[in-house]
Amino acid sequence: MRRVRLLVLGMLSLSLAAPGYASRPATDSAATPRSPVAAELRATLAAQPRGDLQRGKALHQSLMCAACHGETGVAPTGNWSSLAGQRAAYTYKSLLDYQRGDRHEDDRANLMAVVVRDMTRQDMADVADYYASLPPPPAAAPKLTGETRRHIEQLVRRGDPARLLTPCASCHGASGQGGNNETPALAGQSVGSLAQTLHDYRSGRRVTDANQGMRQFAQRLTPDEIEALAKYYASLSGKRR
Amino acid sequence: MLKRREFLQAGAALFCAAALPARATGATQAGAGHVVVIGGGVGGATAAKYLKLANPALRVTLIEANRTYIRPYGSSEVLTGHVGMDDLNVSYDALRSRYGIEFLFDRVVGFDPARRRVRTAGKRDIAYDKLIVSPGISLQYQAIPGYSEAAAASRAPSGWIPGPQTALLARQLQAMRPGGRFVIVAPPSPYRCPPGPYERAALVTEWLARHNPTAKVIIVDPKDSFVTDAGMQLGWHRLYGYNIPADYLKDMPADVVNSGRPAPIEWLRAKDGGTPRGIDSAALRVATDAGWIKADVLNVIPPMRAGKLAFDMGLTDAGGWCPVERRTFESTAHEHVFVIGDASIADAMPKSGFSANTQAKVTAQAVVNQLAGREPGEPIWENTCYALAGSDYGLFVADVFRLKDGKIAQISGQRYLPLDASKTRIRLAARYQQAWLKTFTEDCFA
Amino acid sequence: MGPLMKSPFTRSPLFKPLLLAAAIAVLTAWLTPAQAAQPTGAAMAHTCAGCHGTQGKLGRVEFVPLAGMAETEFKRAMLDFRAGKRASTLMGHVANGFSDSEIDAMARYFASVK
Ligand SMILES: Cc1cc2nc3c(=O)[nH]c(=O)nc-3n(C[C@H](O)[C@H](O)[C@H](O)COP(=O)(O)OP(=O)(O)OC[C@H]3O[C@@H](n4cnc5c(N)ncnc54)[C@H](O)[C@@H]3O)c2cc1C
Ligand code: HEC
Ligand code: HEC
Ligand code: HEC
Repeated sequence: MRRVRLLVLGMLSLSLAAPGYASRPATDSAATPRSPVAAELRATLAAQPRGDLQRGKALHQSLMCAACHGETGVAPTGNWSSLAGQRAAYTYKSLLDYQRGDRHEDDRANLMAVVVRDMTRQDMADVADYYASLPPPPAAAPKLTGETRRHIEQLVRRGDPARLLTPCASCHGASGQGGNNETPALAGQSVGSLAQTLHDYRSGRRVTDANQGMRQFAQRLTPDEIEALAKYYASLSGKRR
Repeated sequence: MLKRREFLQAGAALFCAAALPARATGATQAGAGHVVVIGGGVGGATAAKYLKLANPALRVTLIEANRTYIRPYGSSEVLTGHVGMDDLNVSYDALRSRYGIEFLFDRVVGFDPARRRVRTAGKRDIAYDKLIVSPGISLQYQAIPGYSEAAAASRAPSGWIPGPQTALLARQLQAMRPGGRFVIVAPPSPYRCPPGPYERAALVTEWLARHNPTAKVIIVDPKDSFVTDAGMQLGWHRLYGYNIPADYLKDMPADVVNSGRPAPIEWLRAKDGGTPRGIDSAALRVATDAGWIKADVLNVIPPMRAGKLAFDMGLTDAGGWCPVERRTFESTAHEHVFVIGDASIADAMPKSGFSANTQAKVTAQAVVNQLAGREPGEPIWENTCYALAGSDYGLFVADVFRLKDGKIAQISGQRYLPLDASKTRIRLAARYQQAWLKTFTEDCFA
Repeated sequence: MGPLMKSPFTRSPLFKPLLLAAAIAVLTAWLTPAQAAQPTGAAMAHTCAGCHGTQGKLGRVEFVPLAGMAETEFKRAMLDFRAGKRASTLMGHVANGFSDSEIDAMARYFASVK
């Protein structure tokens, strides 16, 4: 009940967001990030407006997304994440998470909180569809060799029943191209942001996953496996084989 | 305190007239030696740290009057309660433990340049091979008729060197009567932190809008312009309905139109009669060419000069600041002595923490080179002053400086956040300003 | 060269090669008079540390670390900022203060920081 009320409140404050310069920073309130409830998330995604690619492209420039995430949505350096080729539902959901303060792993998220503050759901859908229409980031040179590579491929394709690890590929796709609903593409993502976010799931700093799915998986991974998985996915091209 | 001649003698008297060693500390190993840094503020702390980074074998002693540094940058946020006084405290522990810098918490009271020694109030005398001095500023309270240090401590605080006056000013603001007037007397140039008085005015205006909505901020100014003036006034206009003077209006974005209605923030420039002529601290009034300005809270930022220590050590010129050889910031008054930070004369570089920080690094490297018998390298400095027109409205001036014909010149072209900057860019600048307070403190003190 | 000649440094085995390097540097500077003397990569990098951390090292804050960044990545970022191809809040202003060869020198410095 409380959650529903919060959601409604969130929507209200959204529609009231003034376009003026004087609006208050959302990050001022130290709201604790809230984990999504699966049913709510389904409803949110079902209501995702149809995006306008031209508007999305314009917003990508005017809201400075290009400055941090790259002109073509491909991260300019390892310090940022790529958005090109991402599933629209995931981008849309992520932007809502930032706007509500539900995604706040550390101070770097403050930048996203600033950027999304005045975005409407239509804006979010526009950029989300725009990124989905762009070619995914180029694959990095494969870094894994020998036993590590075999171990990681096993983990991705078969999982690890002993640790109750579902294969990553069963959700994220055989070539990391993304899966159903908000399950994101991972292929070609920068190593730094993939590894960082898996560590954040593992430590519980990132709580944006419905039903704690990713958190539980990440907790069963070792730090070495996380680094290796990040390198593995960075070297995939995201194209269906 | 002692007069200048006594100060010098106080130093000299201490030391017997032994033959002058080539190195005051007798260090012989190439590149080694003892560097003493006086003043553990932004400039001195950074210098000590970067000396050790450049040559860990160097002996570095930092002499600082206080055990905890109170940072001036970001200190106006105390007025609005965004941070508390305690948040301004910076510890020296990291500098000591990580870099092996020796600390002496004491006040320097004596100086013997011939024998390269300094003496402290605690009666320690310390020999140096090279001496770096970063004494900061002194406030010229008496320069405004009717104003005094006593008035600043009780009635009309300045709060430009953070401390009890900052806390007092915060209490006065919070207790101000509904509809009261918060008057800021801005200083003449040159002074510490060029956008600072105007940022303070902005933050107070923003706070009043929420807590005392009929109150008003008036800036009384002996100048007609200031660093970031156009961007700052645009911010005031957008956030508080400030009316932009005609001479600035022509460069503003097309959508900027003055309402003409009284605004909660007003800037009374020299050309509008704003030059302060006197302070009546009992009645809380400022005499200006435009008549008396009555205040409920009066914040006087008086004219400034180099820190008192610089005068005592004979490092200042007639203007009250320290002339230096620009490549290394070696004092033109005394060999082996370097003056950095607010106290130094650095041409185009503003008196800011960022300037003091990059000056310290250039000077640290020059000192290391001198001790190793190397020529000083080609210097480069930078300054960025972030400033807020509101807690969510950031501005900046960003410059790269180089040596040009013996003077320090800005060479990077455009300096300011452009007036047509998007709202996203403005908000990000405010976010980065907050981040800078932390990353900058770490670069200086950790 | 006055003070240099007297220093023990001149007797070090490094002195001759360094002298040669210095001579070449002087010659190059002479041949390209338009190019002013250049600060070292480290000296330039130190001016960035107030935001990007001492030696470019930084935790998870709004500013990004530069330590260990691949040279090509660093150069592309700086050149794009300078040319206005990559939007920024402020880096365009900063990048404008550096020549190509200075950006190269900083790139080498940051890439070398572990
Ligand atoms: C409100 C405000 C906002 C500001 N905002 C910014 C900003 O956003 N960005 C920016 O770059 N700068 C800012 N500044 C300016 C910045 O704080 C100063 O420029 C900087 O502190 C100067 O460094 P310094 O080393 O010259 O002097 P200081 O930091 O003042 O250090 C001087 C030190 O010397 C010590 N000392 C003096 N005499 C003696 C003695 N005889 N013996 C022993 N020790 C002694 C003092 O105790 C002090 O610790 C701001 C300043 C103010 C007031
Ligand atoms: C000032 C830099 C900056 C700007 C501008 C910016 N972002 Fe981001 N963005 C970031 C950072 C940093 C992160 C990672 C933050 C974190 O750790 O949570 C991020 C994360 C994201 C994510 C999540 C990515 C993932 O894989 O989980 C999305 C989606 C995103 N940004 C979209 C956008 C859009 C759309 C815009 C423009 C409207 C934008 N960003 C503008 C810095 C920026
Ligand atoms: C049951 C389905 C499922 C499985 C199995 C799964 N994931 Fe995920 N993963 C998701 C979903 C859904 C999200 C989005 C969650 C959110 O919004 O926070 C996600 C998010 C991620 C992200 C964040 C992406 C980004 O851009 O920030 C990474 C990285 C990731 N998963 C890696 C993995 C790896 C590695 C494995 C295998 C060890 C794995 N996942 C297994 C469903 C799954
Ligand atoms: C006043 C703070 C500040 C200073 C000083 C500064 N930077 Fe930056 N830097 C930033 C900000 C903020 C960004 C993000 C882009 C923007 O908004 O300007 C950035 C981004 C960068 C990037 C892009 C990093 C990436 O991963 O995409 C590089 C490279 C960079 N800076 C190099 C430098 C160098 C080299 C210097 C010194 C010569 C320097 N910076 C000085 C604030 C600063």
